[in-house]
Amino acid sequence: MWKRESGGLVLTFHLAGINNQNFLMRDDQTGSYWQQITGAAVAGPLKGKRLTWISSDELSFGLWEAEEPNGTVLKDVTKYTSDYEKKDWEAQMMKEPTVLSFANPALGLKPRSLVLGVKAFGASRAFSYDEVVKEKLVLDHVGSEPVLLVVGPDGQSVRAFRGRIRGLEGEPSFYRTLDEKQSRPTDLAWLRQAASAALLMDDLSGGAWNFEGCALSGKAKGICLERVDVIKDYWFDWRNYNPGTTVYAHKT
Amino acid sequence: MEDSGPRKAIGFWILVASLVTSFAWFAYPLYVIRPFRHQGARELAAALSAIQTRPVVDVICVVLALAGLASYWRAQPRRPRRILAAFGTLTVGAFAALSQVNVYELMFHPDTHPLFAAARQTKVDPDDKVLAVKLGGSVRAYPIRTIAYHHIINDVVGQVPIVATY
Repeated sequence: MWKRESGGLVLTFHLAGINNQNFLMRDDQTGSYWQQITGAAVAGPLKGKRLTWISSDELSFGLWEAEEPNGTVLKDVTKYTSDYEKKDWEAQMMKEPTVLSFANPALGLKPRSLVLGVKAFGASRAFSYDEVVKEKLVLDHVGSEPVLLVVGPDGQSVRAFRGRIRGLEGEPSFYRTLDEKQSRPTDLAWLRQAASAALLMDDLSGGAWNFEGCALSGKAKGICLERVDVIKDYWFDWRNYNPGTTVYAHKT
Repeated sequence: MEDSGPRKAIGFWILVASLVTSFAWFAYPLYVIRPFRHQGARELAAALSAIQTRPVVDVICVVLALAGLASYWRAQPRRPRRILAAFGTLTVGAFAALSQVNVYELMFHPDTHPLFAAARQTKVDPDDKVLAVKLGGSVRAYPIRTIAYHHIINDVVGQVPIVATY
């Protein structure tokens, strides 16, 4: 998601092409072409400019609605609803061919493997989405900074945080406290209470933390962890635009 | 009596050059920028350059094609050949007109006037994914099954102009 301003102009974008399965946008105001994943203008008068990244989340609707009951949602355009992606579209997309590969069998990465890409602290790192969902909580480093990836109470939404607690020295270790057996990810009533409930604990503040990364108890009560942007992408696309990326591997 | 041969030849070759050029500027970007094809950096740059120069190139081609046709028409006594030249000129115009069509938006229609509903009035399955943003106190979600079709939503959230992409 990008702020659609550049050079003092508010830009209106249109779908305008594809570059190795990542789409190109064209702005009405200058006719410049922009790469979707990088926000960089690749042709036209604004070539070389970059749009400003806007932080966003990819969440299940149930969890998002539980967190943000007063939010608003994009409505379908009725005449195109039959063309919209079907319920199983992610599984269908896995079967689509790719023009780039970067397959890495040693790391279990196929071109269309879903990864969670983190670009922060001077480094790029990819985490297999399936692996993160399986582990529920990943404690790792990106560059030299501790980062934790947390799966929400719905079992499919993922957020990342810098693994440091403001005001406390040291690098905390986090533990998941949610009882997964009690999880009811399609039950809105359950999600509404789970959305803000404790999900993690840490050994530095002794507090409990929810999925928004905020401490509910302990020495850090009221403090929220610093959010780290995560991009959910196909491995081939992430690797193409982040050639120096490293890949998380579960430590056994 | 003036020899019409050179005028006929010049008109003919201007027309052919206009036809070839307008076809190249129309077809090359379509050939390069198409799904499920690897795009090399140089050919993509050339294709985008062709798209950006196309309005000027198309006008030049149409003007030259008309001039070539006029010259050829006057010098060519045979009617079938005149008609063929006129058809060639029309084809130049057709390539220029087709170049204005955004084929990607024919495949994935844009949502040019996005509308929004309150979260609790929305019929989205709880396990469907959304792209969510919070800006200036405003909170917005874009269902991925919807935005994965339109690909681009130009929006303003919390007075910030944003583009949601998927």
